Amino acid sequence: MAETTRTAQGSLAERLTANGFTRRDFLKYCGSLAVMLGLTEAMAPRVAEAIEIGETSGKLLPVIWMEGGSCSGCTEALAQTNTPDIPQLVLETISLNYSETLSAAAGHSMEQARKDTIEAGGYILVYEGAVPTVYDGNVLLVGGEKGTDSLAETAEKADAVIALGSCACDGGWMAARPNDAEAMGVQKFLEERGIGTPVVNIPCCPANPEWLVAVIVEYALMGRLPELNGKNVPVSIGNQTVHDNCPRRGHFENGEFVYRFGSAEEAKGYCLYPLGCRGPQTFTTCPITRWNRSTSWCVESGAPCIGCGNIEPMHPQRNWVDENTPFIKRHRDLSLLGFHFQPTTAALAVSGLVVAALVVHGVGMKVAGRVDGGADFEPERRWDVKHGTEDAHKAGARAAALYDELDAKGLEPKNIDRFKKIRAAKKARRAQGEEKPPANPADAPADAAPTDTAEKGGDE
Amino acid sequence: MAHYREAHPLPFVITHWVNLIAMIILILSGIYIHFPFFGGFMGIARGFHVFFGAVLIINCIVRIIGAFIVKSAPAPGTREVVRDVWTWLPQRDNRHQLWAWISYYLFLRRDHPIAAKLGVPQKIVYLLIPLLIFFTGFTGFCLWGTTASWPVFAWGLEVMGGAMKVRIIHYFCMWAFIVFMCIHVYLSLIEGASPATLIFFWKETPGLVYDPKTMNIVGFDGMGKEPDVGETFKE
Repeated sequence: MAETTRTAQGSLAERLTANGFTRRDFLKYCGSLAVMLGLTEAMAPRVAEAIEIGETSGKLLPVIWMEGGSCSGCTEALAQTNTPDIPQLVLETISLNYSETLSAAAGHSMEQARKDTIEAGGYILVYEGAVPTVYDGNVLLVGGEKGTDSLAETAEKADAVIALGSCACDGGWMAARPNDAEAMGVQKFLEERGIGTPVVNIPCCPANPEWLVAVIVEYALMGRLPELNGKNVPVSIGNQTVHDNCPRRGHFENGEFVYRFGSAEEAKGYCLYPLGCRGPQTFTTCPITRWNRSTSWCVESGAPCIGCGNIEPMHPQRNWVDENTPFIKRHRDLSLLGFHFQPTTAALAVSGLVVAALVVHGVGMKVAGRVDGGADFEPERRWDVKHGTEDAHKAGARAAALYDELDAKGLEPKNIDRFKKIRAAKKARRAQGEEKPPANPADAPADAAPTDTAEKGGDE
Repeated sequence: MAHYREAHPLPFVITHWVNLIAMIILILSGIYIHFPFFGGFMGIARGFHVFFGAVLIINCIVRIIGAFIVKSAPAPGTREVVRDVWTWLPQRDNRHQLWAWISYYLFLRRDHPIAAKLGVPQKIVYLLIPLLIFFTGFTGFCLWGTTASWPVFAWGLEVMGGAMKVRIIHYFCMWAFIVFMCIHVYLSLIEGASPATLIFFWKETPGLVYDPKTMNIVGFDGMGKEPDVGETFKE
């Protein structure tokens, strides 16, 4: 019993010891934290000191951890270890004043704790899950209050809002088609409500707890938020792709791929690109931070990246689920008139149709006798015949006379030699066979009179 | 019509070859990058793809600049030349010929419209090809890791809806090139082999002689293989 109390209420140092972590483990963790904050690892003792001073002074950064349309997965990612790990212990130290999942208290006293923290100010809001806005936000009620209102109220007075996990960033899978909940991310919601509190987006499903702790510690230690990129993700997390840092990258460059789960290539740890790996377009440092106390992560454990770290904070409809399914195909599916299909299917269908049309047209041209260089020219532009000038008519008459002359001489103007030879061979064959007169005046011997002088195009 | 070299001056024969080679390599390497059907070529395919992407774009720019510098014939059957760009844009020789061409292709008329260098539908499509090249290049640079974060390409990604959609757009652009090639080759070969022998091998072939002034046929040039009739360019 004494042990349990010590674990639950003791100082950080006591709780670390109780959970089997040495001071060395803690400093090592502080080192990796320092690196994530953009400091050198040599700063580890300073980070450790700051955490401990903060703890003993009792002036810890209060954190409110709210959940919206959430599966609590991000909380679980932090808390659901068989023994608490260092980030969790540090985070507890940072004074989690309100957490729907982790707090021991419940009910109105809990809501009161939130209100008190808001009143005292100087806190950070961690928001997990999407913001469902349909029916004016009445789809999510906590303590009789609309979730959207509690979020607005808590965010407005907060120093900063950390949108934790893909759902909080842009709606995530909560916002996936058809998005009946009209879910969106925190950043978009706050902007629509006109609340200017800075938002830090920490992507992935679930979010990596180490990233969260890094952001909170940076704010607690240095009083500033990390440098953010265009999507409000800390640049230390969101500016390189999974592909950039992937341990299988060498296999990608060599062209060594896994095409089927359970294959020999998979056993060799080859690149998962043909199985739809979204690493090349997913901007997170998963391969560096890794998961579960840096044990492993998706690709390392053999699964292609499904792009859960891709966020579009201002566009819930571009959530990572809609953008990436089916996960094991290289492209997402497209939807049209209720049909779902791969882009390749559509492209092949359209191209096949065009090629088929050309083939049919080509057969038509052949039947019409035009394939050896087009039909005979019109003597005068048809438009000119009706609307043309006197000069145009003259030119037309001259061209018509020329065509007659060419016919008389047995010259076929539109062909090059090859077609002529083919035609001559055909004629010879025909003459040998049935002694039938040639059907085409152009094929006739030079001395034969042309049968169709009124209009060229007798070929047809 | 006769096919004289003036219709496709040597610089444009070269740019046409460069276009053809670059497009084929881009299509093959692009398909491989989309899905590597066999192992071993990813590094090479990506290198080739980016390199020939740049070649295609630069070649397109060179071709456009060339249009303002080089002179070419407004129709294959004449040696009289004008600034090449005038043979791209709607030209006098093509006026009132759009419906003539469409009805010819739809078998609604028997005789072949008097053509300028290009039939009207072809000309419209060819004018769109530079746009397609530039747009496809733009989407390509939006996707290429090295350039994706440049402001203009980051803006492109944002506007077009993120990397996955841009990838699909880029992919559809490739199919647009393939479809264009099919139609282009078909419409050219349906006029006989002369256009192809001229643009690929710069070889002249006999046929009717065109007078740009009257915009009609004035003679027949046998090019020494057959007797000449009417006016030709031989003095």
